[in-house]
Amino acid sequence: MKTQIAKLFVFTRMINRQHIQIVFALLALVLFVLGAGAPSDGGIVSH
Amino acid sequence: MILLGAILAGMVVGVSLASLHKRPWSVPPLRKPWLAILSFLPQLVFLYLPATRKWVPDELTAAGLIVSLVLLLVFCWFNRQFSGVWLLAWGLFLNLLVIAANGGFMPISPQTASRLVPPETLAALGNGDRFGYKDILLLPEKTHLIWLSDFLLPPVGFSYQVAFSPGDAFIAAGAFWLMVMPGKALEAPKIILK
Repeated sequence: MKTQIAKLFVFTRMINRQHIQIVFALLALVLFVLGAGAPSDGGIVSH
Repeated sequence: MILLGAILAGMVVGVSLASLHKRPWSVPPLRKPWLAILSFLPQLVFLYLPATRKWVPDELTAAGLIVSLVLLLVFCWFNRQFSGVWLLAWGLFLNLLVIAANGGFMPISPQTASRLVPPETLAALGNGDRFGYKDILLLPEKTHLIWLSDFLLPPVGFSYQVAFSPGDAFIAAGAFWLMVMPGKALEAPKIILK
């Protein structure tokens, strides 16, 4: 148990501010293209 | 799907070019990412989430879509130093223009829609009915700025059929370019006076 907690601690220390910024930037870009674009493959038709 | 494909393709090409030139590659450090996430929220609630979508009237959905697109333009302004963002912004502006001119939804003609859904599905729809997430079925003569609408299609034999607008094409190109050259800003041409 102690080893697992130690491993988790090491892992969380590896996730630094830069990693979080990268994930946020990528998420922002994905949401941007989904939001800005309006292609249609006929997905849902009835509302 | 095609827009996410552009990001993925740009990432693959960007990583490959970076490793070829032995330089590091990273996702572009976009400024104010929370603004893009916030801008997408109205679309998530009004268009994408099945639980909420059916309860929202079309007028509110249309207004939400326009507000969302305007906020995304502001996001572009904060990130204008990145290469590719001008293409993204131009595509977004074209989509915003045609959506605003047609009551808050992207117009698609019945002829284009016939390539995407079976004839019986299309027969059940009338002029002005919602189609897909952001589109509205409109006859060409009732469509404003038709050359900016979802009228572009891949070749007939293509396995994935999707209708897209010129704005979407710019957005895909911008997303691709942004991932290929994540750190590079667009530079103005240098003029050397002799």
